[in-house]
Amino acid sequence: MDFTLSKEQLLIRNTARDFAEKYIEPLVRRIEDENDVPRQIIDRMAELELFGIQFAEEWGGSDGGYDGYVLAMEQIARVSSGVSMILSVNGLGLGAICTYGTKEQKEKYMEPGLTGELLASFAFTEPGTGSDPRQITTMAIREGDSYVINGTKRFISNANFHGPIVVFARESESDEVTAFIVDKFCAGYSISEAWDKIGLKGNRIVDVYLKNVRIPAENMLGKVGRGFNILLSGIAYGKIGISSTYLGITLRAYEEAVKYAMEKKHRGQSIAKFQAMQLRVGELAIKLEAARWLTYRLGCLANNVKDPMTFAREAALTKSFVCENAVDVTRVAVDIHGSYGVMSDYKVQSLYRDAIIGPQIEGVGDMQKMIVAGTILRE
Amino acid sequence: MNIIVAMKQVPDLHHIRIRNREPVLDDIPMVLGDIDKSALAAAVELKETTQGRVIIMSAGNRKIRDTVKEALAAGGDEAILIEDDDLADEDSSVIAGVLAAAIQRIGDVGIVVFGEGSADNYSGRVFSAVAAILGYPQVGYAKRIELNDSLARVTRSLEDSDEIIEVPLPAVISVVSEIKEPRIPSVKNILKARKKPTAVYHLNELCVEVPAEKNITTISNLAPVSRRKGIVITSVDELAKILKNDRKPDRQAQ
Repeated sequence: MDFTLSKEQLLIRNTARDFAEKYIEPLVRRIEDENDVPRQIIDRMAELELFGIQFAEEWGGSDGGYDGYVLAMEQIARVSSGVSMILSVNGLGLGAICTYGTKEQKEKYMEPGLTGELLASFAFTEPGTGSDPRQITTMAIREGDSYVINGTKRFISNANFHGPIVVFARESESDEVTAFIVDKFCAGYSISEAWDKIGLKGNRIVDVYLKNVRIPAENMLGKVGRGFNILLSGIAYGKIGISSTYLGITLRAYEEAVKYAMEKKHRGQSIAKFQAMQLRVGELAIKLEAARWLTYRLGCLANNVKDPMTFAREAALTKSFVCENAVDVTRVAVDIHGSYGVMSDYKVQSLYRDAIIGPQIEGVGDMQKMIVAGTILRE
Repeated sequence: MNIIVAMKQVPDLHHIRIRNREPVLDDIPMVLGDIDKSALAAAVELKETTQGRVIIMSAGNRKIRDTVKEALAAGGDEAILIEDDDLADEDSSVIAGVLAAAIQRIGDVGIVVFGEGSADNYSGRVFSAVAAILGYPQVGYAKRIELNDSLARVTRSLEDSDEIIEVPLPAVISVVSEIKEPRIPSVKNILKARKKPTAVYHLNELCVEVPAEKNITTISNLAPVSRRKGIVITSVDELAKILKNDRKPDRQAQ
């Protein structure tokens, strides 16, 4: 067992950190205010090949593994979780295409998706269902060599960018949940205004309206009725991105809290001299390391674990812990800042807003615990 | 034309802690200094205009093989390393002799580029000594370099002026950080770095004699003590008075 990062892993981490500090940090306020990520950030991420770390070179990726992906995402989220969520969701959509797609589908979408030319989305949730595939109402009706899709998808990331969207719909002939690839902004595709969520600014989520969207039958992803498996696998791997994002939020909250504790003076001395602050800083350090190594471990497991159920369990427990932990850490970091912690001039308030979203998205916290318990109590 | 970039492995300054006024260097990751990275970025740009080849040269302990990957990821084509666990403690005249011996083994040398000073000791002496040993012309503090087949046109950044000079090739040039911002390596280049050619020499292969007695002995390396004055000011008039008195000697000194 070796917890030492290799030189390559350190360099990937440094590339992401240098990029984030140099290119994202100066624009963070704008991202927060406009809830939008400027195009130049996406282009620069593509130049540095940050979109394709975890994908194989065969499909235009860098072959850096999920371990490299986790390290880069942590550093990007440390500066802007909105930017890292764009990367995460792109990886989620492309990951499904790369794993389940035909050669033609991969050739069409992987390379443009890894160069930032297209950005992928993943659309399962609907107004009437969050986690239960049996409640899906979006329909894909077979008409000769085409499918015609109708339905509404809720809280969809990257839906405002051109690129593929993996849509889960009920296939008409089998009545089974099936995945399809739709090109965003094709005829019949439209989106709502962005939901005004309290954090993760820059990561726009919208509702997607599919009205008589006609796609060729070969745009089916995987086989008829296999949508649920693609969904489970996709969201399991998607949890690597969200766990890394919340690790980055945790890291930044820790850094901001330590900096403030060292700088802030009370009666002539640094508040870091007070035991109450020392206990809080100690707690943050412990929680940061726990989240960090659980997330790094998930990245390594993603490279190596073959059984989808085993990986789903590890992903669920990591996502559950890291996201709930981020809420605790950012809350304590706000405490250390006192009144200043809730002022918009201080980074820690936006981290807290980002953090409380985590347990509610990409599988709510209780659902993660049920997945974990399910693997233990199955017998 | 080969463009050689001499780079020094130094402890990552972001990780160094000071304990009892002394730097704690145990378990500190080794990196390349920022000015060295600027020198590399300038060399990579020159390579693109001259169709040359960028060779990274570095001397240091066994960690150097790992550290140099950073330079290979950021645009170096190959690396030549002189590896010896004792080299890190040697003074600049010894290091210059070692580097010069290695450079003499490379054909078609155009320029040898150094950062103006290393990130740790910042003596800035090695480049001059290398030029002297090799008999190459030397130019210090370059902020711009243009190359043709036989000449380097160099803009030197002086305190209150720029000086443009030409030197015949091969030449040794030290650069200031403003010459070029260090490159952020892309992920693919990081992963490809390990496959780039890296030659490792040991001192006996270069026929360089390292003196048994060190020329320079470091007696202590202590962080300066900084104490705040801790003046409590109770009125604007008092502040103005203190600032006025405090600043007067500085102005006179200028």
